[in-house]
Amino acid sequence: MITEGTYPYAVGGVSSWCDAIIGGLPEIEWEVLPIVAGGKRLHQNYQLAPNAHLLAPIELWSEELPPRHGFLGGSETEGQSVPSRLLEGLVTWNGNAPTLTDALVWCRRQPQVIRPSFRSRRAWDKYLATLTQVLNEQHDQASRAPHYDALEAARLYQTLYWVARTAAAHTPPCEVLHATAAGWSAIPAIVHKALFGTPLLVTEHGIFVREAYLAALRDTTASPARRHMSTRLALGLTRAAYAAADVIAPVTDANAAWERGLGVDSGRIHVIANGIPPPRAPTPPPNAGKVVAVGRIDPLKDVQTMLLVAAEVCRRRPDARFEYWGPPTPGQEIYAEACERMREQLGLGTSFRFMGRTTDPQGVIRGADVVLMTSISEGMPMALLEAMSQARPAVATGVGGIPGVIRGCGIVAPPGDIHGLATAVVTLLSNPELASRLGRRGYERLRRRYTLEHCVEGYRELIEQLVGEVTT
Amino acid sequence: MSTSTVDHDVLPGVGPPADEATAPTPRGDQHAEDVVDARLGRPPSDVLEATVVLEAWDGRPAQSAMSAARELVSPDHEPALTGSRVDPSDRQERRSVIAEGIALVLSILSVAAWARPLSRELGPRALEDAIRLALPLAVALQWALRSRYLSRRDGLALLAEDGPSCCALLLLLVVAIALIAPWGRVAALLVLIWVGGTVLTLRGWGLLYAVGLLAGTAALDREHAAYAALGAMAAFTILLCLVAVLTRRAPTDRRPGGLRRAVLAGLIGGAVGVLLVGDPSLGWGVHGVHPAIALVPSVLGSFWGGYYLWNLYEAIPRGLSGVPLEHAGSAGLAGPALGVFLGAILRLVGTTIVLSVIVATLGRWTHGTDAVTVFVAFGCAALASMMLSLFESLSLQRGALVAIAAALAAEFACRYFVQWHVAGGALAVGAAVGVLLTLPALIALLSRSGRVLATTLWIQ
Repeated sequence: MITEGTYPYAVGGVSSWCDAIIGGLPEIEWEVLPIVAGGKRLHQNYQLAPNAHLLAPIELWSEELPPRHGFLGGSETEGQSVPSRLLEGLVTWNGNAPTLTDALVWCRRQPQVIRPSFRSRRAWDKYLATLTQVLNEQHDQASRAPHYDALEAARLYQTLYWVARTAAAHTPPCEVLHATAAGWSAIPAIVHKALFGTPLLVTEHGIFVREAYLAALRDTTASPARRHMSTRLALGLTRAAYAAADVIAPVTDANAAWERGLGVDSGRIHVIANGIPPPRAPTPPPNAGKVVAVGRIDPLKDVQTMLLVAAEVCRRRPDARFEYWGPPTPGQEIYAEACERMREQLGLGTSFRFMGRTTDPQGVIRGADVVLMTSISEGMPMALLEAMSQARPAVATGVGGIPGVIRGCGIVAPPGDIHGLATAVVTLLSNPELASRLGRRGYERLRRRYTLEHCVEGYRELIEQLVGEVTT
Repeated sequence: MSTSTVDHDVLPGVGPPADEATAPTPRGDQHAEDVVDARLGRPPSDVLEATVVLEAWDGRPAQSAMSAARELVSPDHEPALTGSRVDPSDRQERRSVIAEGIALVLSILSVAAWARPLSRELGPRALEDAIRLALPLAVALQWALRSRYLSRRDGLALLAEDGPSCCALLLLLVVAIALIAPWGRVAALLVLIWVGGTVLTLRGWGLLYAVGLLAGTAALDREHAAYAALGAMAAFTILLCLVAVLTRRAPTDRRPGGLRRAVLAGLIGGAVGVLLVGDPSLGWGVHGVHPAIALVPSVLGSFWGGYYLWNLYEAIPRGLSGVPLEHAGSAGLAGPALGVFLGAILRLVGTTIVLSVIVATLGRWTHGTDAVTVFVAFGCAALASMMLSLFESLSLQRGALVAIAAALAAEFACRYFVQWHVAGGALAVGAAVGVLLTLPALIALLSRSGRVLATTLWIQ
């Protein structure tokens, strides 16, 4: 299992999922290969199950030198074309999977030559010539590429170096490769598959390329070239992962639509929904006009819309109380401060409170009458599953997998529709019977479709199938 | 496991052609265009960007968003050239250079002031041997500390975390030095005082350090108190150092620099130290020319030059922002990298010349620090040291080691084969060789700012 900025070092939905899958499949021996940002100390937040072994992480943007192992042969001269080949394979609109795979495999075979090759004058000159060609590419699905300046060219070159370094990482012998995103974590898997023919399973919680576009849109200070670079790299990595994958397992049909849109045939897509442990019998709601949201404070969660919704709800139901549970995403502290200022400006006072981190999301949801989610992008949010497990109705924006999850057990409104979301919340607060009915339906739906057992069983079947195909 | 049963396998806009679209656009294209325009304030860069906007801010399902997005992209849209944002540098080199500069000047002045009382008590030969061992070791440790801790954000906190192992290593080294010879104890104490000074000045406690040195100097002037005074100074410096580091103890998620790199930096620094003390014509603080005082101009020059040189990390990205791609690979004397480099050399050379003239003029007062060749030698050594430091900083350690080895060989050759009786002559020749080997390579490298940023600064 190859993870990317998540398990076992970071706490979050994807990490919890990794932990649950590994723990839920004790008959499988797992080798966990994390990819992390370099230069920082790593704190392991998850204790690995006895059937899992943690490999040395691949550190990106670190000072560590590449490994010295590798096959014999190859030369620095050959390596000097690697940046151009990676560029061609990743940054062109349609990508170039064969060229990319060849270059990545070369990096794995010659790890000790990567650094001197990238540091050579010829590699840089070749790269600049190829970059000019790539930027002049015309395609009816994309505007002309923005003008890159020398700084962005250097930045992209550096990123390609880390792609090469990631490809050079050693991967242990295994029967199935499991990448937890169609991004950086797929790189070592693509190489391993090309070398040894091992089947590759890619799980997508979000869509890597969509998240890259959203991140680029949120970074208002980024130059057009920088946006272009980050989104094209993400597109290139995603396309390469899709091309190499035997099976892609999105967590929701909404993600599957993206995968098909990017050219993956339906036969390789197997939706396996996330799940949570079977819930206990639900408790009755407090009927206290309490609305709870659980999630990070992040622009993707559109907390500012939630504040406006709260303001409108409080105008119509002055007894309503909102609690937002969750810390700011690292790096989004300024956004969190802006949300706090907005809360004060709206005069919400104690009607809306940021409660900070919680270790018991189901507990805080148990104390709610309604669960609210105003995100502009979601895959399959755990917070909604937790709401269903406590038989609480949800009001949420219709993005990603949300409409599919809360179908028949919640109310969906378009993202940013303050009036629609507020009306839905007021309706549920004012009609406890309706709220209770929707909550009960959610509870039953969860037990039928979204338990951890379903999720783990899905992976068990899939992995057995992949191993079986190799054996036969 | 549930398998997706949706039949609309292909979506227009990204993979297949538009006429294969199966999902109708829920609203008119004009609405989609308005949403995208309102959100982006510009035409979308591609189908996926428009899709993301329609999904996130119009609530359209992916399939429908992709269909609508296809119509919104204009392949002929002409982009504008804009400069890119320059990310702030993480490096703390400037501060560490200042620290090293102040500490070095104080160390030199202390050597100058201590020479007479120490040689009186220990004997001139013993003191000279002690300095010849202590100076290279101290410089080596300073370079290694800078590479692993002091040049980094949270450097002192990182040093505090590694404190026990660093203390153990230092103790081992000091004991080993002390056991080498009778003068080993003096060398060990000098190493402690000089290395501790670097840490103290980085902590901003340079003044306290200076007070300690002055008090020690006064004590040294008393008869038969050399060891006691030096020991007290070393104890004071190390105690202060411990307090300085421990009070900066804070949780940090950063990691110190690589050990291998620190060892290499230490080797290069140590070799620079050997170059400095390798010329026998420089009777270190004992008699004849007075090298300690003569070092001050070049040290101050290299301090200013080095301080300016660390602008490289920000000047190059800033200078390349907005430079068209077609000029990214071109060479030029007016590029930001070479500009900073030549500026640093000018500062070093200019300061050294001006201050050397002043010190030489005051030669009588400084007990004969008037041999022009000594100033030239130290100026060359400072220049070589700056070049080697830059080589090390650019991860060109192998080149730095070759250059310093050649410099040492030249100095050695002058010393044993040429028998050149000029004060500082061997050092000047050795340092000049070091400069000649590194300068052309650095000019060639730094004349191409785009390349040096991409292939050297950002790939370490």
